[in-house]
Amino acid sequence: MFLINCPFCGERDQSEFSSGGEAHIVRPKQPTELSDDEWAEYLFMRKNIKGIQFERWNHVHGCRKWFNVVRDTSNDKILSVYKMGEKPPVNYK
Amino acid sequence: MLDILHPKISNINKNNIDINLSEEIIKINIRGKNKEFFTKIGKILSIILPSEPNTSSSNESYDVLWLSPDEWMIYFEENKNTNIFDQLYKDISSINLGSITDISSQLICINIKGENIFELLSSGSPFNFEKFKNNVGSSTQTLVNHIDVILHHKSKNNVNLFVRRSFSEHLYEWLVDSSNFI
Amino acid sequence: MPNYRIHKTEYIDETKRVSFKYDGKTYFGYEGDTLASALLANGIHLVARSFKYHRPRGIVSCGAEEPNAICQIGSKKDLTEPNVRATELELYEGLEASSQNCWPNVKFDIGGINNFISPLIPAGFYYKTFMWPKSFWKKVYEPLIRLSAGLGKSPTEPDPDIYDHKHVHYDVLVIGGGVSGIISAKMAAKNNLKTLLVDDKKTLGGSTIYQNNESVKIDDKLSSEWLKNEIQEIKKLSNLTIKTRTSIAAYHGYNFLLAKENLTDHLPEEKKRNKIRQRLWKIRAKKVVIATGSIERPLVFNNNDRPGILLSNSINKYLDYYGVTCGENIILFTNNDSAYETSISLHKKGIKNLIVDLRKSATSELIKQAESLGIKIYFNHVVTNTFGYRKINSLEIMKLSEDGNTTVGDKIKLSCDCLGMSGGWTPMVHMHTQSGGKLNFRDDDQVFLPKENSEDQISVGSCNGDFDLENVIDKTVNKINKFLDIDNQDYQDTNIICSKENDKRNIWLLPNKIPLGKTKCFIDFQNDSTAKDIKLALKEGFRSIEHVKRYTTTGMATDQGKLSNMHALGIIADTAGVKMGSLGTTTFRPPFTPLTFGTLVGRNVGKFFEVVRKTSIHEWHVENNAEFENVGQWKRPWYYPKNGENMHDAVQRESKAARESSGILDASTLGKIDIQGTDASEFLNRVYTNAWSKLAIGKCRYGLMLNEDGMVYDDGVTTRISENHYLMTTTTGGAANVLSKLEDYLQTEWPELDVYLTSVTDHYSTASICGPNSKKILNKLFPNLDLSDENFPHMSFKEAKLENINCRIMRISFTGELSYEINIESKYGHSLWKMCIEAGKEFNLTPYGTETMHLLRAEKGFIIVGQDTDGTMTPSDLQMDWIVSKKKYDFIGKRSLYRSDTIREDRKQLVGLLTDDPKEILEEGAQIVSDVKSKPIDMLGHVTSSYFSPNLNKSIALAVVRSGKTIKGQKLIIPMEHKNINVTVSDTIFFDRENKRLNA
Ligand SMILES: [Zn+2]
Repeated sequence: MFLINCPFCGERDQSEFSSGGEAHIVRPKQPTELSDDEWAEYLFMRKNIKGIQFERWNHVHGCRKWFNVVRDTSNDKILSVYKMGEKPPVNYK
Repeated sequence: MLDILHPKISNINKNNIDINLSEEIIKINIRGKNKEFFTKIGKILSIILPSEPNTSSSNESYDVLWLSPDEWMIYFEENKNTNIFDQLYKDISSINLGSITDISSQLICINIKGENIFELLSSGSPFNFEKFKNNVGSSTQTLVNHIDVILHHKSKNNVNLFVRRSFSEHLYEWLVDSSNFI
Repeated sequence: MPNYRIHKTEYIDETKRVSFKYDGKTYFGYEGDTLASALLANGIHLVARSFKYHRPRGIVSCGAEEPNAICQIGSKKDLTEPNVRATELELYEGLEASSQNCWPNVKFDIGGINNFISPLIPAGFYYKTFMWPKSFWKKVYEPLIRLSAGLGKSPTEPDPDIYDHKHVHYDVLVIGGGVSGIISAKMAAKNNLKTLLVDDKKTLGGSTIYQNNESVKIDDKLSSEWLKNEIQEIKKLSNLTIKTRTSIAAYHGYNFLLAKENLTDHLPEEKKRNKIRQRLWKIRAKKVVIATGSIERPLVFNNNDRPGILLSNSINKYLDYYGVTCGENIILFTNNDSAYETSISLHKKGIKNLIVDLRKSATSELIKQAESLGIKIYFNHVVTNTFGYRKINSLEIMKLSEDGNTTVGDKIKLSCDCLGMSGGWTPMVHMHTQSGGKLNFRDDDQVFLPKENSEDQISVGSCNGDFDLENVIDKTVNKINKFLDIDNQDYQDTNIICSKENDKRNIWLLPNKIPLGKTKCFIDFQNDSTAKDIKLALKEGFRSIEHVKRYTTTGMATDQGKLSNMHALGIIADTAGVKMGSLGTTTFRPPFTPLTFGTLVGRNVGKFFEVVRKTSIHEWHVENNAEFENVGQWKRPWYYPKNGENMHDAVQRESKAARESSGILDASTLGKIDIQGTDASEFLNRVYTNAWSKLAIGKCRYGLMLNEDGMVYDDGVTTRISENHYLMTTTTGGAANVLSKLEDYLQTEWPELDVYLTSVTDHYSTASICGPNSKKILNKLFPNLDLSDENFPHMSFKEAKLENINCRIMRISFTGELSYEINIESKYGHSLWKMCIEAGKEFNLTPYGTETMHLLRAEKGFIIVGQDTDGTMTPSDLQMDWIVSKKKYDFIGKRSLYRSDTIREDRKQLVGLLTDDPKEILEEGAQIVSDVKSKPIDMLGHVTSSYFSPNLNKSIALAVVRSGKTIKGQKLIIPMEHKNINVTVSDTIFFDRENKRLNA
C-alpha cells in the first residue's frame, strides 16, 4: 500500500487514489489527420518499464485532482509528484 | 406540506462517543479560480475562502471547508441566511465567475463527538488523524469504511462528518457497531 | 501421573491450576503455561504423526517455528480451529485440543504403514506415484490421500467470533520485545518519538528474560534482572505503546505493516464472549526497527525426528521459564556454544546431561563453566542414529573424521530420554525481506543477513546476526542513535560481561556409515522431507531452489520452513558444489504465521460485508414488498410481487400496467452531474458523439459517450438548464467512473475549458411516471403547469413547484411511453413518491422495478450499457449511427470509429431475435450459431437481453451477432443443453416503431 503525496492534500494512503496509467501521452490535437497506425500509437502503446516510470494518479477520494507521479517500478518508490501541466523533474529520465 | 424524511440516524452514546444527525444544514458547493471570484465570494459571505489545504474558515454565519484548490463547501443552519444560495448563484454562476451548486440533500451531516471519536474513525479510515485532532478547524476528505466522507473538526473532539445521503444509513450503522469495540 | 514440573518460576502461577483436555483426556497445567509446556509437564512428547510417513512426532520447539505440535482446537462446528501451534497457545481453563493428522489416534496409526513402505514415497512422489492409471485418481488416490493426510479440519459453520481492524500511525515501530527491541523502543520513545513496540509473546524480554547464567552480567546483575528493570522503565514512557500477544503478519512497502493482536485466545470460554477475538492493526510507521531475533537450527542426522528430540534452547526455556524439564537424562548435541547454557541450567536443576559437540575443540567462558561443573563433553563427535519408537530412549555417536565428511572409530551407544539439538542460529530476516530488503550471506556462521538498512528500516540484535549480548547491546545502541538521528546516552556506561563464542563448525548433512538411501535424516518435519529427497531432486536435474522446494515440498507446510529452509539450501549447495550465498533463498512471503480469515475480514461480515446505498424512497419499497436487485452498490427495487406472484407474473403485470395506464419507477440512482461554465456546451460536444451547441435552453438530449477506442462507455440524457448550465445523467453503475473520466479530460487534456463538474446524484430523488395516463397524474400533482405538447413537448424540461418545493421535471422516456421524470431534493423524495402514488390511484399507477424497466425498453430496442454492450461495441455496432455527428471535428473516440478494425462489416452487431415458438424465452448469454453440424461449430454471437413481452404476447430478445446488420430475416440456432432453439433475426425495435405513444 503506497503512501502518495498528493500535491494538493499531502500524504495519503493509496486507497484514496486511483491510477491512470502512463503520463505525458498527449491526446493528438487533430486526430482526424492521423493514420490508423499513428492513432494506434496514441491509443494502445504504453511503456510498462522496469525502472523509472511516469504515471498519472487521481486523488479520487480526496480533492479529485489528477497529478503526475515518478515511480521506480523496480522497488515501488515514488520519487516525485508534480501537478498536471508541470514539466517532469529533469533529474529522472 | 411535503414531509421531510431524514435518514434513519438516531442519537447514540457509548464509550465516550456521541453520534447525532445534524438536521437542516444547508451545504453549497463553490467552484472558482479567478481573482474576481474570490473578491465576490468574500463580499457575499464576509469570509475569506481558505487557501490552505485541509483547513476551514468560519464566522458566526458560515463554515467554509477547503476541498481542493478550486473547490470549497460552505455549510450553515437552514434557518439562517435562507437566500444565500440564490444570491451566490446569481452573482457567481449566472455571470460565469464560477460554479455554485446546492448540495444540501446530497450530503448528510452526522455529528460525532467525544474523547474516542478518532479511535472510532481509525477503525475504518487510513487517514492519519494525528495533526487533524490537534487542530480545531481541520478539514479533510477521506474514506471511512470504504465510503467517501468530508470531515470537519468543529471544536475539540467534535467532528462534523458529511456523507452522501445514499450511504448515510449504512455508514451510521457501521459507526454505531464499531463504537462498541473501542 | 508423571510430573516434570520441577521448580517454580515467576512466569507460572502455581496458585491458578488450569484443567484442559488433550485428545479427550483431562490434564492440568497452570496459568502461564502454553499447551506445549503443560503437555511436557505431564510427560507428553508424542503429539503428532508425520504427514507422509505417519511417524510419531514430538514437540520440537517453544515458538512460532514449531513444525509438529500443531493441533485442532475445540470441536464445535463453528468454533473449531486447525493448525494451532501448541507452543504458542496459552493454556486456559476448559481448553480442548486434539492432535492432528493421526487417525485413528496418535498412538496407533494406520498410516504408520507408510513408514515401512517409505522407499516407495520419494521426492515428488505425488507427481510420480499418483500419475496413472488416470481413473485411479478420483476414486482411489485422492480419497486415500485426503483420509490419511489431512492437516486439520475447517469449521463448517460461520465463525461467531468478532474481529476488528484499526489503522494506526507511529513515528517508530519496533518489532520484537527482546533485549534489542526494548532498548530501541526506549531510545525512540525517550526522544519524543511516538513509538509502538510489538511482541508476539505474552511477556516481553525474549530469551534474555529467563537467562540465569552467572557468566552473563549487565551492570553486575543477571541479564534477566537487568532486563526486567528496563521493562519496568519503558512501561512508564508516555509515548510508547506496548502491544504483547501481537505478531506482525506482513511487512509491505512504505512501512505499511499488518499486525495481529490476540485479545481473547488465552481466556476461558465464558470470558471470551462478546469481545473482539483478534484485531488486525494496519500500521504506518515512519521508521521500523526489526528486532525479531533468531531461531535455533536443528541438526540433520539419521532419525532426528523422534519424540523427545527438541531444540536445545527450547529445553532451556521449558526449564527456566516454565519450570518444566523435558527429560531426566538429557543429551545435548551441538555445533556451537549456546547448548552449553542449556546444559548448565539443567545441571543446576540437578538434571543429568552430557554434551556431544561437532567441534574438534572449543574454548570460551561457557565451556569452561560446563567443564568445571564436570559436565561430560564429547568433542568432535556426531550423533549417527537414535532409537525408541514413541520416544527416544538411546542414541549412537561416532567420532568425526578430520575433514568432517565421514565418521571414524567405534559407535558409542548412550541412553537418554531426551535429546537437545543445536545447529546454530538462523536470524529471522523475514520482515526485512518481506519489505523488499536484500540479503547477504555470512560464511563465518553460514547465516543470511540483511544486506543494507534503508533510511526508514533497520534490523538490530540477532536478526541482524549479532549474537552475544555485548555485541547486541552495543551495536543496537549505536545503530539506533544513527538511525533515528538522536544522541541517547542511556547505555553509555552499561557494563556487559558475557561469554564469547570462538569456535565454529557446521555440517549441514551429518555423515553416517549407513548409505543415505537407508537413513531418515529429516529436514522438514511437517512435510516429511528428508536429505535424501533433496539429493534425489538434484539428481533428477532440479537446480533452482524454488523448484527443489516445490518438488520436495520442503518448506511448504504451515510452518513455511522456518526450521528447514537453511538446511535444504546448505545440502543443495554442498551437493552441487556451489557457494551457499550464491544460491539465494526462497521468497519469504507473508504472513509470517498463519492468520484466520476472520482477522483478515474484520467487521466486514454480515450487513457490513459490502457497502449499501439506498434511495430516499427505499422504505416505501420495503413496505410495499419489493424484491431488490443490486446495481453497483445500490439496492434497487427489482419487482413488486403481489399476492404471492412469482417474478415472471409480477413483471408481466407491471409491464402491462405501464403501457395500458401508468407505471412509476424510482430512478433516483441514475448518476447526476451538474455542469457549469462558459464552455459547458463545447465540453459536451467533446464528450458525447452528437452535437450540443444548438440544444435550446429547457430541452433535453440523449447522449452516447465513448471511450477513446470508440467503444460505447455510458449513456444518458442531459438537460440544458440555462445558457451555461447543464444537468447530465449517467447510468447507475457508471456514475463515479464517468465523473472521474470527465474530470480527467478537463484537468489534463482541456484545462483551457471553463467548466465545473459537481456530482448531485444524491441531492435529487427521481420519480419516473410513464404510460398513457401519466399526463393526467402530472396534472393532478402540478395543476398550474401547462402540460400541453406545445408548451411541454417530449425531450424538454420545466421547473415547477410541488406545494412550495421546487421540482425539475423532464419529459423523457426510456419505455417508449409518454413519460415524465420528476426530480426533487432527496429529503422530499419519499414524500413526492407517496403523493404520486396517491394521485395515481385512480389510474392504476403501478410501481415497477428494474426488471420491468428492462423489459419495456427492450420492447423499444433501447440498449442498456453494460448489458447489451461489453466494451467492444461501437455506436455503429449498436445500429445507432444516427447519434454520431458527422459534422463535429472531434469528440472522444471519434477517430477510432474508422479504424480498419471498427469499420469491418463482420463485426458483432446488435439485432433483434424472435423465436419460432413465441412462448420460448431465450437464456441471456446463450450462444448463437447458424449450423450445428459442421464441427467446430462457428459461434456467431450471443443473446444479451431476453424477455417475454406481455404487450406483444411473445418472446423477444436482443443479441449481438456477426454481420448482424445484413442478415435480417435469416434463421439462426441457439443450441441449448437438451435442444436447439430456432430463431429469426429481426429488427431491434419490437414495439411502436413510429413512436406514436410518446405523444399519446
Ligand atoms: Zn488531493
